[in-house]
Amino acid sequence: MSKLKANKADLRVSLRKKMITLAAKTSTHYPHIGSCLSCIDILIQVMIYEMSPADKFILSKGHAALALYVVLSRLGKIPKKVLEKTYFQEGTQFGLHTPSSLKEDIPLATGSLGHGLSFAAGLAKGYELTGKDTRYVYCMMSDGECNEGAVWEAAQFASANRLDNLIAIIDRNRLQAFGATGEVLGDAASPAKWRAFGFDTAVCDGHNLAEIAAEVKKFKKIKNNKPHILICNTIRGKGIKAIENRIESNYTAMVGKTLDQALKDIGKL
Amino acid sequence: MRYTFAKTLLELAKKDKRIVLMTGDLGAHLFEPLREVLKERFINTGVAEHNMVTAAAGLAYAGLKPWIYSIAPFVTIKVLEEIRNDVSIPNNNVKIVGLGGGYDYAIAGPTHHILQDVSMILSLQNFKVYAPGFSEGIEEIMKKMNREKNPSYLRLAKAEKTDFKIAGFVPVRRLVKGTGLTVIVLGSMINRVMPAYSELTISGAVDLWLVTEMPFEFPKELVVSIEKTKKLVVIEEHVKIGALGSYIADFLLQRRIELKKYAHLYAKGYISYRYGSRDFYLKESGLDRNTIKKTLKKLI
Repeated sequence: MSKLKANKADLRVSLRKKMITLAAKTSTHYPHIGSCLSCIDILIQVMIYEMSPADKFILSKGHAALALYVVLSRLGKIPKKVLEKTYFQEGTQFGLHTPSSLKEDIPLATGSLGHGLSFAAGLAKGYELTGKDTRYVYCMMSDGECNEGAVWEAAQFASANRLDNLIAIIDRNRLQAFGATGEVLGDAASPAKWRAFGFDTAVCDGHNLAEIAAEVKKFKKIKNNKPHILICNTIRGKGIKAIENRIESNYTAMVGKTLDQALKDIGKL
Repeated sequence: MRYTFAKTLLELAKKDKRIVLMTGDLGAHLFEPLREVLKERFINTGVAEHNMVTAAAGLAYAGLKPWIYSIAPFVTIKVLEEIRNDVSIPNNNVKIVGLGGGYDYAIAGPTHHILQDVSMILSLQNFKVYAPGFSEGIEEIMKKMNREKNPSYLRLAKAEKTDFKIAGFVPVRRLVKGTGLTVIVLGSMINRVMPAYSELTISGAVDLWLVTEMPFEFPKELVVSIEKTKKLVVIEEHVKIGALGSYIADFLLQRRIELKKYAHLYAKGYISYRYGSRDFYLKESGLDRNTIKKTLKKLI
């Protein structure tokens, strides 16, 4: 087992610390730390352990860019020092939402919600048309994002085109910007809805790396002409007790005592 | 123009296996031959234009050359954010084909018209706009679009038959040489300007130019023409702001070219809120043959 794989559990802690430290440098709540903490475990498992080099990952929930940056940095795709020195700084490549200047590793710059699944489906279709359909395209959305109509246009397209090289993932933390998903428009990450749209659907604990791994591996074995979707139940702000499962998790700056406590909490994850 | 488009795309796609046609559920009695030849490279994306634009960006990322097709408002104003974020800024090679620029869809009404497409698309980085005046120019335009690696927008219109036929494609071309008044026309408005011009009894006065590509470099002869006549008429089936009129005004200001007389004939939107033919709407906007003729006469 490689060193990278041996340190798998530690990564959940170290990358969280990295995100919190980078968020702290901004002295603002802008990095959406709650959303980053809810999806980081999925990114770790999928991007570091499940993806082949030719596969692509689309982060449709672009506001969790910081989570993507730290994982890409871990993979050596973004120089660590560059990220540390320039994140959120004037003239940086690494802003609050994903850039369009790193096309190889970030195929689509996102931020406005509801674009990623269409792009991922188009890319998966493109790989099919060019004989590269052994490549998988992953697309991570948030559950709040699934309010967007374009997501369901994309779902129909993926299903009608039988894109079984597409693996969609929902970070289902059940919170959106100003309310619980269930109280705003209802649970758009419900497995029944996605099954009705023709997806091969699975549900798992989005903080349990073994469960995520098992479901993704199952998807890859199934060739049923259906696009896949892994609905990951998560906790927004996972790891920082004061903000877990709270709307405030995306509106909290990592400063002062909040920062100190956050780093302590993460150590006990 | 759509028949010429379909025929030309078929020829291009036979040679270029990277071409993919995506249609927003349009093209019955038109695209059947294309569907047969293109096979899996023909994709009916359904009545779901937001997805069509961004999925096309994904295809382009995979190295393909998607052409997306629908009625012009449905592939421009309806999906402007997808075009900006997923095509324009990342410079993905997507070709957008809009059928019925201006009032072309006539009695179908405002939902099926588009009077702001050129300004919207021109405001986006990396984009080019093509607005052919005649069916004859389309083949060359499409070959050029296919060679180019940047995204572009093709504004198709019905292109009713005119007596005036020219082959090939030039972004900005002189159709008639004259010395008294410079007239610059965008795309398919030429099919209303030519008859108006033909009815003028004063010969040799109008220096008539047709623009089919934007943005464009001003030909030297056009600049000389404006400087000499000092009288200019700009005619476009598009709102006042952001397309040909604005583009020319900006150029004249930059170059400190002064005019003695100037008229801009443009689409004024919906005045009576009644429905009618393209000519009905053109008349309400003062873009009909008679108003054009009167304007030309007055300025000469």
